[in-house]
Amino acid sequence: MIKDITLGQFFPTNSLIHKIDPRVKIILISVYIVFLFIAKNFGSLGFMTCITVILMIITKIPLKLYFKGLRPVLFILLFTSVLNVFYGSGEPIWQWGILKVTWNGIQTAVFVSVRIVVLIMISCILTYTTSPTDLTDALERIMKPLTVFKIQVHEIAMMMTIALRFVPTLLEETDKIMNAQKARGADMESGGIVKKLKAMIPVLIPLFVSSFNRAFDLAVAMECRCYRGGKGRTRMKVLKAGKIDVIAVIFSVIVLAGVIVCNVMFPQLTVK
Amino acid sequence: MKDFIKVNNVSFSYGENKVLDDISFTIKQGEFIALLGHNGCGKSTLAKLFNVLLVPESGEISVDGLVAKNEDDVYKIRSKVGLVLQNPDNQLVATIVEEDVAFGCENLGIPPKEIRRRVDEALKSVDMYEYRTHAPHKLSGGQKQRVAIAGIIAMQPQCIVLDEPTAMLDPQGRKEVMDTIRYLNKEKNITIILITHYMDEAVQTDRIFVMDKGKILTQGTPQEVFSKVELLKEKSLDVPQATELIYRLHQHGISTEKLPLTPEECIALLEELLNKKS
Repeated sequence: MIKDITLGQFFPTNSLIHKIDPRVKIILISVYIVFLFIAKNFGSLGFMTCITVILMIITKIPLKLYFKGLRPVLFILLFTSVLNVFYGSGEPIWQWGILKVTWNGIQTAVFVSVRIVVLIMISCILTYTTSPTDLTDALERIMKPLTVFKIQVHEIAMMMTIALRFVPTLLEETDKIMNAQKARGADMESGGIVKKLKAMIPVLIPLFVSSFNRAFDLAVAMECRCYRGGKGRTRMKVLKAGKIDVIAVIFSVIVLAGVIVCNVMFPQLTVK
Repeated sequence: MKDFIKVNNVSFSYGENKVLDDISFTIKQGEFIALLGHNGCGKSTLAKLFNVLLVPESGEISVDGLVAKNEDDVYKIRSKVGLVLQNPDNQLVATIVEEDVAFGCENLGIPPKEIRRRVDEALKSVDMYEYRTHAPHKLSGGQKQRVAIAGIIAMQPQCIVLDEPTAMLDPQGRKEVMDTIRYLNKEKNITIILITHYMDEAVQTDRIFVMDKGKILTQGTPQEVFSKVELLKEKSLDVPQATELIYRLHQHGISTEKLPLTPEECIALLEELLNKKS
């Protein structure tokens, strides 16, 4: 059951988006997210939505998986839309006590929801098409200039890599400990939330202790392999931007132009 | 063969607890050594002294003529002597097999092309090349341990110390790892120091050191060491089952010239005995 938890899911296919240099991909995806907030009317937002759907199709990953990515934020999505519906200004369409629904409220709710959905879809495109190693690697290289401000970029990237490496190992271990405690008669399924949380303590403590032991071992193993921080370190894989990255950048510039044009062309579609 | 590791009057203690007591020995280049002994007899401490994870309290250890005096020496020694630990899960750093194998080389600052070549070569020599793009947690214990060994080999050390590398593995995994270790010793001429609890593994080596309470109890070829059955029994250490069987026959007045070490030798010996009788 615990193995269902997925983190940084990566679905390898041979699509063009997979082949884009991870550094370029991270930067472009961040830029797309900014576009999303630049888009201020339904025209430009619709344009961004279309682009996102096209990108999703290019990745060759089943669209079903993208909708799965939405599930965790469904609650936030509902919450914000409900709030927005009731917080609009202008003429009420429907009123009950202090609660009033306005045309403006509905518009804002739809606009914000679409924006959140597209935002999540865009981030999914990044994590679904880039392996965790590539992601941390690219982040390390993108953040390299920050070393000027004495930020330990290499150390941060190393911690991320190790965390990603140990997530499956620790999940497996949690499963084992839970089974071991169940075999000793621990009851983890019944009772209210407080009782369930209390039942997790005998699982968390052994997990905690074993994580420390693993960390000590790992430190020894790393020292044995001459690890001494990022200084003087080389990498096996050298990232090189190629033709496809240039195409991706050009495509993004066109999209940005499109968003601005839509913003200017459809002022009547702006949420009032 | 030249001397590779020289241990001179080394002592070490954790606080009050003396773990190593005035130990001296030498290991030659290309030897295959087994270290036997009970838990807490100082085997693992010795392993950590070889590549300067610990520093001896008194005495001196030299590796390939080098004594660790400053930090540069420490890293020089660590690139000559690799250490493989017991739990394969805890020594793999990266999320992809080949990235993990490259980790040591990357730390040494080797150019990318050369790392690529070494990683491929190391993975081939432990027979894990086709798994190079897999995630470590999806491999079996034996496979993980071989990846860990590949990570050390890629640094091209002259010696590999293995601290109970097969203790957490199933028989299949143990066999894979032992085959790999033997191959590295015979074909690549890498000095191997194997710490183990399994007598059938110790039998495959050139020389055995038996440790007890921080001292070396006895040493010699497997034949020499395991012929001292009484001494080992007294310290409640095991001998290989084949040796044990013939030793018991000795006690019942059936004497043979030598004690066998492997089941095959034992069978041959028994056959000879039975033929003589009939």
